[in-house]
Amino acid sequence: MNSTPIRTLCMAVSLWVVAGLAPAVAHHSFAMFDFSKVVTISGTVKEFQWTNPHVILWIDADAGAGEAPAVWSLELTSPGNLTRGGWDRKAVSAGDRVTVDLNPLRNGNHGGALIKVTDETTGKSFSTNLRASEKPGLQ
Amino acid sequence: MRKVHMALLATALVVGGGAAGGEPELNSPPTAKDWAAIARLPDWSGVWTPYVSDQNRRIKSDPTPWRPEAAKQIATMEAEEKAGRPRGLFIDCLPEGMPAWMLITHNAFEILFTPGRVTLLGEMDGNRIRRIYTDGRGHPPDPDPTFHGHSIGHWEGDTLVVDTVGVLPEAWLAVSEAVGLPNNGDLHVIERIHLQGPERLHDDLEIIAPKVLSAPWKTTRIYFRQRARKYDIVEGVCLQGGMATRQDEFGNWLYVPIPQEDGNPVPPK
Repeated sequence: MNSTPIRTLCMAVSLWVVAGLAPAVAHHSFAMFDFSKVVTISGTVKEFQWTNPHVILWIDADAGAGEAPAVWSLELTSPGNLTRGGWDRKAVSAGDRVTVDLNPLRNGNHGGALIKVTDETTGKSFSTNLRASEKPGLQ
Repeated sequence: MRKVHMALLATALVVGGGAAGGEPELNSPPTAKDWAAIARLPDWSGVWTPYVSDQNRRIKSDPTPWRPEAAKQIATMEAEEKAGRPRGLFIDCLPEGMPAWMLITHNAFEILFTPGRVTLLGEMDGNRIRRIYTDGRGHPPDPDPTFHGHSIGHWEGDTLVVDTVGVLPEAWLAVSEAVGLPNNGDLHVIERIHLQGPERLHDDLEIIAPKVLSAPWKTTRIYFRQRARKYDIVEGVCLQGGMATRQDEFGNWLYVPIPQEDGNPVPPK
């Protein structure tokens, strides 16, 4: 968990507002993601936020082909749905080295819908296929 | 002096107690017979998870009978969603409400039976709840509008028939999280909720929304029963997702808003 002093954070927030990115909350449709494309990134977990309505994984991604290192925001479904899919709030932690498959944002920003995250050290992976749980009596 | 006060108090109680100045309506304490009657109801225990693929299929198989002027707006929204520019109906985290909860939820709920009541408890938008009164009461003549409306129900065999009015005009008649219109008033929803086989719950909905629909919209939503404890309902506070936790200079843990762009979180500094 980061411990950025709140004043610095508030200042950053005000700068964002000035830049035209108003803070809002997000129980949103996933149509902003391009599900026809899969992008794979490698990097270090910056923060794993286990909250409704969408869990968020922030990755400090390594430099890629022709790309500078960047922070990516990856969105997932809700904690309840993920728990049923085998996740928990410690599935990944800040500092973990990971590889992530994602459906990227259509607008080209560093963000996407997470498909699968794999811990590069342990090889353990978690995915987010909710359709696999469309039946009764799941274990 | 005291007598005058007592007289005023008595008058106030009578005036406030009932619309026609009669006896106040009370929720009677349940009897052993009331509790025993619950044992004869069908078993709806467990946690119910939505059949999301079927929700999507029914957008086409049970098309919404939008009024022409509403259909034009919907066509624009569908084009925007297809182009990846969804406005998002629930981006502000207000409750999905009725009937959107039943139509488009991706989240689980459970159903509790108590004397005179069926209660639906779910995840998302602040631990959502529907109270369905099964004690024989009618709707209030002019209920204060709410996101979930005023619901009364009765059993026809093993089917719970629910009648809902008093929904806010602003509550979405949602086809998906990105497409739908406010019901705009006079919404009336009739549901027939029943088991279909041992482990599936069907909600057969009839949605009457004269401001935006040209005919009642009939469709069904399906939920699967789960009994494994990892499926137990968890807390779901929608607004929490727009917040990050940070410590201030005193070490207090606080929520601060995450900057967002079109509902997408911008990486924190």
